[in-house]
Amino acid sequence: MVCGLFSSIKVLHMMHNVTKHPFGKKHRPHEVVIETLLFLFALFSILITLGIAIILIRESFLFFSDPKVDLIGFLTGKVWQPMIGLFGFLPLLNATLTTSIIAMLLGLPLGLFVAIYLSEYASDRVRGFLKPTLEVLAGIPTIVYGYFALTFMTPMLRSLFGESRVEIYNTASAGLVIGILVLPMIATMAEDAITSVPKELRLAAYALGGTSIETTFKVVIPAALSGLSATFLLALSRAIGETMVVALAAGAGPNLTANPFRAAETITGYIVRISGGDVSYNSVDYNSIFALGLVLFVITFTLNLISRKISNIFHQEYD
Amino acid sequence: MKKVLVATMLALAVASLYAGGKSEQAPQTQSGLAWVEDGTLHGLPLVNPLKVSGNIITAGSSTVYPLSERMAERFKEEGYGGLITIDSIGSGAGFERFTVAGETDIANASRAIKTKEMDAAKAIGRTPIQFRVGTDALAVVVSKQNTFAKNVTKDELAKLFSTAATWKDVNPAWPNEPIQRFIPGTDSGTFDYFAEEVFASNPEPLLSAKNLQLSEDDNILVQGIKGSPYAVGFFGYAYYAENEAALNILSINGVEAVKENVDNNTYPLARPLFLYSDAQVMRTKSQVAAFIDFYLSYVNEEIVKVGYFPASESDLDTGRKLWLEAMQGTY
Repeated sequence: MVCGLFSSIKVLHMMHNVTKHPFGKKHRPHEVVIETLLFLFALFSILITLGIAIILIRESFLFFSDPKVDLIGFLTGKVWQPMIGLFGFLPLLNATLTTSIIAMLLGLPLGLFVAIYLSEYASDRVRGFLKPTLEVLAGIPTIVYGYFALTFMTPMLRSLFGESRVEIYNTASAGLVIGILVLPMIATMAEDAITSVPKELRLAAYALGGTSIETTFKVVIPAALSGLSATFLLALSRAIGETMVVALAAGAGPNLTANPFRAAETITGYIVRISGGDVSYNSVDYNSIFALGLVLFVITFTLNLISRKISNIFHQEYD
Repeated sequence: MKKVLVATMLALAVASLYAGGKSEQAPQTQSGLAWVEDGTLHGLPLVNPLKVSGNIITAGSSTVYPLSERMAERFKEEGYGGLITIDSIGSGAGFERFTVAGETDIANASRAIKTKEMDAAKAIGRTPIQFRVGTDALAVVVSKQNTFAKNVTKDELAKLFSTAATWKDVNPAWPNEPIQRFIPGTDSGTFDYFAEEVFASNPEPLLSAKNLQLSEDDNILVQGIKGSPYAVGFFGYAYYAENEAALNILSINGVEAVKENVDNNTYPLARPLFLYSDAQVMRTKSQVAAFIDFYLSYVNEEIVKVGYFPASESDLDTGRKLWLEAMQGTY
């Protein structure tokens, strides 16, 4: 394929040499070809997104058209046990929110401080060392994070707070590890947001006699706030969609609880458990995972849209 | 460019032909099956694993899994060169793959096939044949840190896994601590069996219980139960045997899960373990027949090491006779 593309470009190049348009950009047939090709590639990714959405909607329609399922019960019910006809998805949503909020509580301040340090204080040498380290953190497979949660974070929490208080599978451990997992993402994006604050603002703050701490926290951070909010929302949607960590460490049974030291299954955790091959293809349990997938899709899609809106506002401010 | 394309397509076509040809079973010669040796064992022809070729696909019960894995290992040690897949996905899902999609050669099961599944198999032209391979004593286990629970009656067992909130609710002598439950997932034969034995086939009380963790992966259950003195769960005996150092097994109605009690049928949660296959599959993919032959011949030498209990000789013989019927005239 790539080979074919190359040779066709070559052929077009030769044609171009023959026809000779010394200055003109107008009559280059290969430009059109390449543009069309690139457009098709872009279109392809849109089509994939559309395809996923269509399949999710179609399959979840199967679920909601089941006589045992009603939308209101789905959205407000407090017990999720499809096998015996209980379809309240609140326990799953609750667990997803618990792990994500814990992740944000850890990941956001940490990521933000890393970003501030990297953009405002770090010398080039320290930066050159810190940045690649962060990138390594971002490159670790999430299953490794999952076992890290189960075999390191959970025992640590249990020895800190007592074995009787912390269950072996719990949302706190999973949440903290997701926090570490989104840390590099937050740090990188927040750093971009902070460095794109115009230099004039900083200089003006210094000129008015601000110390560097005052400049950072009273001028630069507020100026970068919309970019930082967008970062936060994207990281949140990443945390909500995170799967491997919660599947391993958060628990394998739906449980409506506010206590992060207890086991509770998240939306993604449930999808993994059911699609792991343990339930018949045409059962309500199986169809329910598409409905849950749709819910996840809607949540993360909305968060991404909001974050785009916010960063648009941000761009308008300084253009 | 065209040339390149044509050449690539040709190469692809040839490769796919080759791959297709390879994956298909080589036609059997008229003289019979290559792997059959002279002589018999328990009435079945002797298998020479060295001469068995072709892949075998099995899926099903996580309880049968350690046993099948062990038998497959021995099969390979003795010379089998093909690939054998054993998916541990629960009896129900195993039957589904065997009877609906028809994509597996053998279904492992810790319960007998249901009429519905039998019908599904008939619809795709398969007639499941049942081979009894052993007996499991379903183990109800607690953590080693649990010092109070040693024995439960069947009534207590029902409370323990359904309505009771604390251990005290089950037995007044036990502590007032919430029960944490770790049980196999809803499509596992172990789940079905437990619901059938303890709750008269109604899964509802079992699934309505609080603090419930379900998993098809018995090791996740083991991890969970190990973790707290107030956790309880159940699974196949082999997983208890493997984790004996960290777990305590409860006796049921005062009967311990030991060989003697399983053999004389007094242990209330003893249950059969099966393989299912189909005569047509065994005839067209003779490696499947070879594996089952091997399994039925040597399972009793391995089953105790895995942690289960041997099936009675007469039950094994029933399976062997069915094997002979299915393979009649092929060797």
